[in-house]
This record gives sequence, structure tokens and C-alpha cells, in this order.
Amino acid sequence: MSTLRPFEERYATALADPDVRGGLTAFQRGWRDSRDAAIADLEQQEGRSFDELRAELAGIKDGVLADWEHHLDTFTTNARAAGAEVVRVATPGEANALITERMQAAGADLLVKGKSMVSEEIGLNAHLEAAGIPPVETDLGEWILQLAEETPSHLVMPAIHKRRHAVAGLFERVLDRPFPPDDIDRMVKVARTELRERFLASSVGLSGANALIAEGGAIMLVCNEGNNRMSVALPQLHVVTAGIEKLLPTYADAMRQVRLLGRSATGQPITVYTNFLTGPRPGQEQLIVLLDNGRTAMAEDPDVADALRCIRCGACADVCPPYGIVGGHAFGHVYTGAIGLVNTSFHHGIEAAAGPQSLCVSCGACATVCPVDIPLPVQILEVRETVARSESAGSAGRVTRSALRAFQHPGLVDVGLRVAGVVTTPLRRDGVTAVPSALTSRGPLAERIGWRTPPAVPLRPARDTLRPGRLEEPPRLADQPLAGRKVQLFLQCLSDRLAPGIPIAAAKLLRAAGAQVIVPRDQHCCGLPAYDSGEQDTARDMVRQTMAALADGADVVTPASSCLAMLAHDAPHLLRGDTVEVERAQELAGRTYDLISYLASGPGRLPAGSLDDGDRTPVTVHRFCQASNTLGRGEAIEAFLRDVAGAPVVPLPEAGECCGFGGSTSVRNPELSAGILDRKLGCVDRTAASILITDNPGCILHLRGGVHASGRGVEVLHLAEYLVRRLPVAT
Amino acid sequence: MTPSGPRTDTGRDSARRTRLRARVEAAASSYHELPGWEEVAAHAAGLSDRVAVAPSLHTTQPALAMRLEAEGCTVVVPGDEDPAADVADVPVAVVGGELAVVETGSVLVAEHGLADRVVTMLCQRLVQVVPAEVVVDRLEDVAAWLAERSGRASFASLMTGPSRTADIERSLTIGVQGPDEVDVLVLTGTDPVTEEPTP
Ligand code: SF4
Ligand code: SF4
Repeated sequence: MSTLRPFEERYATALADPDVRGGLTAFQRGWRDSRDAAIADLEQQEGRSFDELRAELAGIKDGVLADWEHHLDTFTTNARAAGAEVVRVATPGEANALITERMQAAGADLLVKGKSMVSEEIGLNAHLEAAGIPPVETDLGEWILQLAEETPSHLVMPAIHKRRHAVAGLFERVLDRPFPPDDIDRMVKVARTELRERFLASSVGLSGANALIAEGGAIMLVCNEGNNRMSVALPQLHVVTAGIEKLLPTYADAMRQVRLLGRSATGQPITVYTNFLTGPRPGQEQLIVLLDNGRTAMAEDPDVADALRCIRCGACADVCPPYGIVGGHAFGHVYTGAIGLVNTSFHHGIEAAAGPQSLCVSCGACATVCPVDIPLPVQILEVRETVARSESAGSAGRVTRSALRAFQHPGLVDVGLRVAGVVTTPLRRDGVTAVPSALTSRGPLAERIGWRTPPAVPLRPARDTLRPGRLEEPPRLADQPLAGRKVQLFLQCLSDRLAPGIPIAAAKLLRAAGAQVIVPRDQHCCGLPAYDSGEQDTARDMVRQTMAALADGADVVTPASSCLAMLAHDAPHLLRGDTVEVERAQELAGRTYDLISYLASGPGRLPAGSLDDGDRTPVTVHRFCQASNTLGRGEAIEAFLRDVAGAPVVPLPEAGECCGFGGSTSVRNPELSAGILDRKLGCVDRTAASILITDNPGCILHLRGGVHASGRGVEVLHLAEYLVRRLPVAT
Repeated sequence: MTPSGPRTDTGRDSARRTRLRARVEAAASSYHELPGWEEVAAHAAGLSDRVAVAPSLHTTQPALAMRLEAEGCTVVVPGDEDPAADVADVPVAVVGGELAVVETGSVLVAEHGLADRVVTMLCQRLVQVVPAEVVVDRLEDVAAWLAERSGRASFASLMTGPSRTADIERSLTIGVQGPDEVDVLVLTGTDPVTEEPTP
């Protein structure tokens, strides 16, 4: 059930509002600084890493789900013993009917509401209004949205998409008095006065629950403003709405959640109020409504069950690049951010889940901050597959599916691209296809390609140049760590056909280090584009084809870190139904490297200074997002450039954030992709470096296109292309 | 909670309180160590001439109201009839804390009845008084306190600093639905809590 506007409309509205993007970029940067500092403090305080702490909390939540009924019963028994009424409901309809009926019986004509995502999930406000019980939101952000007739765009900061001048304007309109936009203090004070009257007048109150503590039958409820305490205490009937996954066995477990919740949500060590309510106060009734609404189905689906650990901290939105451009009204449904892309289909149906799926660029950032270690990017791709299989994918989905199936056949791809190469020859300039500006400056093409010049389509793929005997012998390095070693070069389908200079440079470097470079003929695509598009059957076929092509037991090196992420991280997951295939995938993963790991710490490790040609032009490094977030690579490229190539490296702000390429996203949602690219290039500008180095061909084509279209004077190079220039000159 | 017997301020206690002070101040509350209730009364009276006292504190420490009155204050102890109206315009309130937590700079306040709760919710400046004996290190100590008392209806609130919001542009604003200012007073003296006021 949903009363939200269609996704396309929400997406268009968000893009059209400059406040959304401007406000969210500032918010995400501020959040990152506070959260990182707070987590570093916690690690020091506890003498344990964030990963250890979140694994502990995840383990507690998993333990609850493993014995769910027992914990629910314990909670219910204890809460009832303390005087609460506990009712379990299966659907939003049941929940709304029950709550409305109880409030009517209590003679309510006004409800004061603390923040409750479950009440948003079930659409409670509309029901109560229809029943003549107007609800008043008392959380400041929620109240602002209620006045603006909007829904929350963030789990913790519901009105974060609104800037101060918009809030001042709203208050002026609704409260009919002037509000200077910079006087946030005044806006807050007015909210306090306005809401206090309502608190004192209302006979019914509603809150959510941050945890249901089975041991004591207690509700844990956190807030900073103090509003929740009032909506819980003052009325004669207090209704609690909570999802049945909110259980924790003990108070000690609740404290472990507290330690991670405040820090992940707002960078605070603890929220101002952490309340433990057991039963009603004297003279009060308490009704605890425990909602299923798809949660049992989630628990039964091993691909998404972990998402029930969620403690609704919002961190997964705070690091999400697409969220930073369009906000939660588009990126999600009622639940926003990465978790919304997982749980929406269970709470609100596949149709509600379909639209936002195309916005996720699979950068992996959300998984790095989730305090309960939910593998969100993998789960999103599972939901995406369900969406792709359903009718909800629409005609765009059918087109994608057909294109990916055609892409499975290397022969077809070759013919297509060779033709495109010939046709676009007159437009080929410096690695891009210089589309005439008359076409890109206005009209329908402007939006789609005006912001990013398309890459040049070469006449010859890399594999042709790399045939035995064709590539001239590069100069040899003094040190030959790979002398006599066979290396299979996995070209990556994209660079093979659209950026052949990259694999060719990689081959030269490997040879310069002594390797015997083989280019297996049957290689094509690792399956990543299909996997990202939700076409898992096609992706599996392509993984199998790749495993067969690389079956020779020699090392595999690829200049594309995205392929490494696919083969090492995603392939075993995709093939999980067959243990023999998983073992084969793991065996391949064990001998597959991206170029940087091969040359910096793998068998091809080059000694310090071995590629130092004395050039001291400063460079900066974009870290391919999946390499940082999924493969856990830190500053390996920067260190290598400094130590082995002698290059001065200027740190790039937000170096590990996605550049916006995101596979099909940049084609399906070009405006979004352009927004993320713009943020990235803004960071590059701040370094003043004239050379930008990275190691994923997709990022390179995307960044080069953006640099060209914006007229910047930055050279974008693959690590291999940069290093090959520093090889000693052949004598 | 009634401290029994004279207290010994060991080196460990004072180091622990130094850490508590740092955390309390980091949470934007003020921190004070006072020898006894007489000084608590003087502290509160220095803030306003109208002071509310939480009913549960008044029960265990009736002398506080007398001392406040002796300092020239009007004292309000809200009743059960309409406690919110009783304290509506009282700027300063005093409550007793069950525990003070070094880890977070929080004070645990047990306030089951409405009359106790309105005191901490509606005043502008909240004075929390905690005996030094119940300064504990970790949130697990709070968990143990709660677990010991589980099984009966209750409301306990771990309070850390004044009420705040950052809902508008993540800009921190202090004082929303709860107090704007919080004073944490740790009692380090040896006078028993039930001591009669000295004339
Ligand atoms: S993978 Fe990246 S784009 Fe997708 S939800 Fe997570 S943070 Fe957002
Ligand atoms: S999925 Fe993880 S990061 Fe996102 S809201 Fe839930 S707990 Fe927080």
C-alpha cells in the first residue's frame, strides 16, 4: 500500500530542486566527518574495531531471528506483566483499524506523535485523519514535513532535503508571521511553543520503538529533542508501533545497540534521551502494536533475511552518492536509502520497489558503514533481479534484457563495434567522439550526452594488437620480478573495445617486468553488466564462460578492478547453488589480480623507484569505489605512485566515492550520473592536479567524457597508461 | 538510593569523576562537585527564585525544599492532579539521578509517575543530583541496574545533555522540547541525604 507519487515524478521533482542536491551534499560531508570521528573514538574506547563491534551486534540480531517466537513470547509476557497490552498484527490494514478503534474508544480528538517509521509504513496518519483524529507530528523534522504535506526523505533526519530558507518560508505561510531564514534558533523555539500546547491538550500519544527488550518487556526509545518523552508521558493512552524485528534479548544487548546507533545516525556517542519504558505509567493505558507486514517473508528468504537486523540509523543513505543527488523521496520509498531498496518490496510490493532500483550504482559504500553489517549492495542486486523478472521493469527492462543477451555473443559485439568505429571515424579526437555541439547543446540529446562526451570507438580492439608478435617489445626494467612467469591478461570487454590503450599499456608493463603475457582467446565479459542489471542468469553464463576461458592455472591479471570485484566477490555468490562451481570460482579468484595489487604486493611486486623517470608533475588519484568498498583497498595506488614511480600525489577529497559511471545507471539515469560526476570533478578541481589517475576503465571513459564536455584541462589516465610512460626508453 | 555511612574519596573515584566531568561537559551540560544538599540548594537558588523539585526526590530528601525556601525560593512539588500545570512556568527543576555514567556523561533518572516526568520535560534548566557512590563506568552498569529492576512497570531515562535538534540543515540548536540547560551535580560530601538543615 502506498500513497506516494509515482517514482518518475518523484525523481523529476528531486532533480528540479537545486536545494535537494546542494543541501544533501553538505549534509553527507558533515555527517561523514562526525561519524568517522565518533566511530574512531568508540574503537579506542572499546579496544575493538568497528567491524568487530558491528559483527557482535549483527550476531545478537541474528540470534533473535533464529529463535524469534521465543523472544517475542518473552517480550510479550513481560510487557503484559508490567501492564501493557501487546497485540501482534499481520498487515497495515489490521494495524490501522486497531489503532484507530482504540483511539476512538479513548475519546481522542487529537494525537501527538513521536517519530515512528512504522506509522509511515502503514500510512496511519491518513486513517486517523479520516476518523476525525488529526495527528500532530512532534519531531521537529516530521512537523515541518507535515506542514509542507511531504513525507520523510531520511530515516533519522526526515526534513534534511529542505534548506533553511524553505523552512522559513513554510513557517511564514503557515504561521502567518515573518521568519528570517538564518534564524534557525527562532524557528525551533516557535516549534516548541506551538507543539507544547498540543502536548498538553492531547489525550492520546504514539511512539515508535528503537528496540523491544525481551528481558524486561521494555521499549527502548531514543530521541534528542525530548518530544518522544512528552508524547509517551502526557496522554492517557500511549500506543507503541514497532516492527517485530526490533527485538533484543537483554538490556546489555540494548547498550551495544546504543553505542552504534547514535554514532551511526548523527555522530553522537549517545542520543540526549535514551528512555526505557516498561508498561504504562500510573493512570495510563499502553498498547503495543507489533507489525509483521512482510517481515516473516523476509526472514524466510536467505537472500535478504539479514536486512531484518536494521536499526534504522540512516547511515546507508548518508554515504550513498545517488542519494546525495536526488534524496530519499526518489531514492527509496517510505524507507529511504539503501535499506529502502531492499525492504520496500516486502513492505510495499514489487511495484513500489521497482523505480528506485535503477538509481543504485552498486558502489558498495553503504555496506562499509552499516552498523549491523548488512550486505546491502548484494541484497539490492537480489531485489533487482526480482524486479527485472517482474512486469514492473517495463519496456526499459525488456530492452536491457535483450541488449545483454546479445552482448553475450562476442562475435556480434565485435561486428557492431567495428562498424561503429568506421562510421564515427570522422568524429574521433583524443580518445573521444566529438559529437557536433549543435546536437549536444540543446534538444533531447543535450540531457543525455551533453554532459559527457562519448568515447571514441576504435577501429581495432586491443585483442587484435595483442596477438602474438604484433606488439613491439617494450624496454625491460632492471628488476624482473616476473621473469619467466606466465600471466594471462584479462582485457575486460569494455576496454578491449572502447579503450584498447589500457590493456595494451598493461601488457607492456607486465612484459617490462619480465612476464610472458598471454591473451586467452575465448575471454569476453566477466558478467558484471548483466549482474548489475538484475539479469543473473545471463551473468552466471558469462561467469562460466570466463572461468572456462581462464582455466589454465596461470595468474590472471586485469587492468579492470571491476572485473576483479566481480570474479573475486560476486561470482562465488552468484554460483552459490553449486558447490563445485563455487570452488572453481574461488580457485580462479585466488589467482586473479588487478594490476595494482599484482605490481604493488603480488608476484609482480616492483621495487621502490623502479618506474621513477624524474618527472615530478603532481597527480591525483580517484579510487574506484568498489575497490575501496568491496575489495577493501586503501591507498595502494597513491603509495605505489609515490614509492615506485616517484610521483607527487595530491590527495583527492572523497577519493573513494563513486564517479557516477555505475554501469547502466549512466545510461538509464544520465542526470543522476551527471550530478555524481560533477561532485567528483569538483573535488578534482580542488587538488589543482593536471593528471587524474585511476584504474577502472569504466570510470576512465566516464571521467574523460566529463572532463572533455566541461572543457577542463585535466588528463585522465589509467594507472597502466601513466606508468608505461615512465618505462625507460628502449636503447 | 540512599548512601550509607561516610564516603571515602579514593584516588580511583576522583580519576573516574574527572572522566565523568569531561564527558558531561562534552555533552554540553555543566558539571559541579558539591559536598552536600545545602550546596545543592544554594546552587539551584542561584539560578532562579522559583524551583521545582521532583516528587520522588522530595520524598527521599524533604530537607531540600526547606533549604531552598531558606534560600528565598518558591518551591513547587507537582501533585498528581495536574502536574504539568503545576510546573508550567517554573524555570528550574531539581531531580535525583540513580546513576551517572562515565562512558557517556549521562545521568539515569527513574521517573515512573507523571508528576516526576513533567519536571524533567517542562523546565528550562534541569539540575540533576547524583551521589558520588553511584558514578559508574559503563553502559553495562546501567543495563545491570535496569535488569535488576525488570518485572515491574517503570520509566527510566538516560539523559545526556540538554535537549537538541539538528533537523534543519544539520544545524545544532539546543533546547527543543526539553530543557535548554542541564547541570550535573555530584555529591562528594559526607552528609547523609536525610540530614536536617542546619539553621
Ligand atoms: S551500493 Fe552505493 S549506490 Fe547503491 S545503495 Fe549502496 S551506497 Fe547507494
Ligand atoms: S541498513 Fe544498516 S546503515 Fe542502513 S539504516 Fe539499517 S542499520 Fe543503518
